[in-house]
Amino acid sequence: MSVLPVRILKELRRRGVLGINRRNAEYTLHWNPRRLYKTVDDKIITKRICEAAGIPAPRLLAVARHHFELRQLGAAMESVSNFVLKPASGAMGNGIVVVLARDRDRFLRPGGRTVTLPWLIQHASSILSGLYSLGGQPDAAILEEKLNVHPEFAAIASDGVPDVRVILYRGVPVMAMTRLPTRQSGGRANLHQGAVGAGVDLSSGRIVHAVLANRHIRNHPDTGETLIGREIPSFEKVLDIAVAAGDETGLGYIGADVVVDANQGPMILELNARPGLAVQIANRAGLLPRLKAVDREAATKRSRAERVALGREIASSAKEME
Amino acid sequence: MGMFGRGPVIVGTVVVIFGLAVFLWKSVLLALPVTPSDSAGPWRVELSVTARGNSRGSVRAGLPTTSARQVIFDESNSPDRLLFAIRTEGYQRTGIWSGRLRGVHNLLYGFRVDLTKAPPVEIPEGLLPPPPAEIVSQYGRESTDFPAASPEVKALLETLAPAAEPAARLRLLFGFVTDEVGKTNHGSEDALLTLAAREGRPEGRIRLLVALLRAAGIPARPVGGLQLREGSDPRPVLWAEAWLGDLWVPLAPNDAQMGSAPASTVVLRRGDFVLVEATGVEAVGHRWRGLREHLRPEELYAMMVPADPLLARLSLYRLPVETQSALRALLLLPLGALMVAIFRNVIGVPTFGTFMPVLIALALRTTALLPGLAIVGAVIAIGLLGRIGLDRLRLLLVPRLAILLCFVVLLVTGLALLGRGADTRDFFGGVLLPMVILTMLIERVSVTLEEEGTRAVLVKAGWSVSAAVAVYGIFQSVGAQHIMFSFPELVFVVIGTLVWIGGYTGYRLSDLIRFRGLAEGERQ
Repeated sequence: MSVLPVRILKELRRRGVLGINRRNAEYTLHWNPRRLYKTVDDKIITKRICEAAGIPAPRLLAVARHHFELRQLGAAMESVSNFVLKPASGAMGNGIVVVLARDRDRFLRPGGRTVTLPWLIQHASSILSGLYSLGGQPDAAILEEKLNVHPEFAAIASDGVPDVRVILYRGVPVMAMTRLPTRQSGGRANLHQGAVGAGVDLSSGRIVHAVLANRHIRNHPDTGETLIGREIPSFEKVLDIAVAAGDETGLGYIGADVVVDANQGPMILELNARPGLAVQIANRAGLLPRLKAVDREAATKRSRAERVALGREIASSAKEME
Repeated sequence: MGMFGRGPVIVGTVVVIFGLAVFLWKSVLLALPVTPSDSAGPWRVELSVTARGNSRGSVRAGLPTTSARQVIFDESNSPDRLLFAIRTEGYQRTGIWSGRLRGVHNLLYGFRVDLTKAPPVEIPEGLLPPPPAEIVSQYGRESTDFPAASPEVKALLETLAPAAEPAARLRLLFGFVTDEVGKTNHGSEDALLTLAAREGRPEGRIRLLVALLRAAGIPARPVGGLQLREGSDPRPVLWAEAWLGDLWVPLAPNDAQMGSAPASTVVLRRGDFVLVEATGVEAVGHRWRGLREHLRPEELYAMMVPADPLLARLSLYRLPVETQSALRALLLLPLGALMVAIFRNVIGVPTFGTFMPVLIALALRTTALLPGLAIVGAVIAIGLLGRIGLDRLRLLLVPRLAILLCFVVLLVTGLALLGRGADTRDFFGGVLLPMVILTMLIERVSVTLEEEGTRAVLVKAGWSVSAAVAVYGIFQSVGAQHIMFSFPELVFVVIGTLVWIGGYTGYRLSDLIRFRGLAEGERQ
């Protein structure tokens, strides 16, 4: 099964796989001005931007920036039955606490564990001190509404909320994948922690390919449900809000993470200015031909709907070329 | 398909060509040596003395003399308000700074020495001619330092070596001092006290040996010199010489060597082993520095005084030894940085921080490779264990890092206790500077643990150490050191290459591994 490095190199070039050096030099460095990073790195700013533009995002219930605001945060936690407590500038899902329900003074977390209000306040205090932020900078704790797994996803996600990552280049969606939590990933939707990455065809909105830790799979490892051919609910809307959010940031090359809520439909969870390249593995396709096609079409002048259509067109013609 | 950006290729090439042009001009047209031609070139030795005082005074230092074993050249001394003169008595030269001291004086004296390895002296056997009168009068008499006439010495001589031939007596006395008088670092420097305690400092043992030899009728004298070592300061050493037949036989009981002086030493003083002394001075301190040069004397001369007058002004070989040592290390850093850029952007492996591998390699330079790697490993282990222990307490980042630093200090302290008896001076000379580097390493390990988990720490640690060992290889290479120090313009070649790498948009080796699944057929 081993393939010679030279053959791999040729094959990757043929498929137009984007490597890290090139992503940095020609895409992130070129299209994402450093000063705009804070709009995506700070989830509070991201939410504010989405709200101003009328883009759906999980509701912000409360924010604590200083320790004296923790009492108010506690009061907010007591007033709702379920919520997510997380750092505003956290990385890779660290420091996120999900509360599903409340039984008098016990708060129920996924997996059956319960915690108390003082424990949650203490956790929020650690967030403020920068325990979970990049580089230990002081951070803000945010309380967010908890989203519900869409019934379409219920059979193919374990212990967590799956999301759809859409790669946007110059306002055009070029590739997408859905990240499905597994028991091994502990309910997180991070591929290197053991979540499933499933490539989603932009034109059909269906899963066309799936990988688990660089291994091709057809079924979800926990539930055994078939993945290939499954349709992402409200995919049209997913692409639309991803493009809308991308436009608000001013960044040219980003990854938008969209969650499809059972009741409210697609919502922007967060945006990423340095999206990873694993989406190519999940789709078994290279990004470069699509990025170049976007460059040829001088896309930024068109309306949102036209750009979504352009992305779908480019994706399907790229598939035919395979 | 362009794997390099156009701008970077043009700029990079121009910079590389500039560096190479200067290099070729110097190496081809001026014929400066590109490779170190000699692995055992001359040494550059420097003595710096700091003296403080406010009255008339003088500082005296034993200076080397050219002999069959050592060729001294290129002597220099830095100007000071004190008057410097060299007094020559027989073979012994003494440098004397004298005058009215005003505050602190920094005195500098340097020389280059070419050491020849002398074969061990054959000890003359049988009946020998009596020693010449002037040698007896100078080196055969009893003195306070060498109490040859004292009853203790006489009594010992009676029991140890009753009238036998001189060579046999010499062997017995040397054997006695070497084997039956212990060497300690806290004993006496006096011959008789050393004899009574059956142990003493190196000075005490040499004085005792000289006293015993003189009592046995063999003229003898102490010798003081410097043992030159690569990578650390020269070490003052002392031994003795005995006149047998028609020559001086070296006797080094501190190194258990008979017939030859301690290896790689330059002789500074005969008849006494105090290398630097002062009178009329309130406080005096001195330090020797040494640097091995890997060029023959004539090549060295070409480097110091190149044919071109501008280059002659720019030659780094004319700087003081301390600056030279620092620059030799400094000029290797660009090569280390280049190596890191290759590891990160061409191979594509993750490391702690950006230049952490270079810093680790610098730390390894001052310790040795294996002990250094052991310390790096221990620091990473402490980082991982510390996380397990401190995680439950949920401490804030900075205090937690500070606690880890305390653990590392305890670890180094523990190592010092374990290594008691061994020569720990080098160890600590080496460890204190890297402590700064280790502290930064702890920080990187800890932050990586927090953000990316244990697996990422182990992966990064593996690659950081691999890169550090590769960089260390460059740092230890005599050839690399010579070429960068002799041709600093090569830094431009490194810069140009870095511009190239910076503009490289092709695949990293790690991309090939990561996306290899995409290159395989459609089988599932």
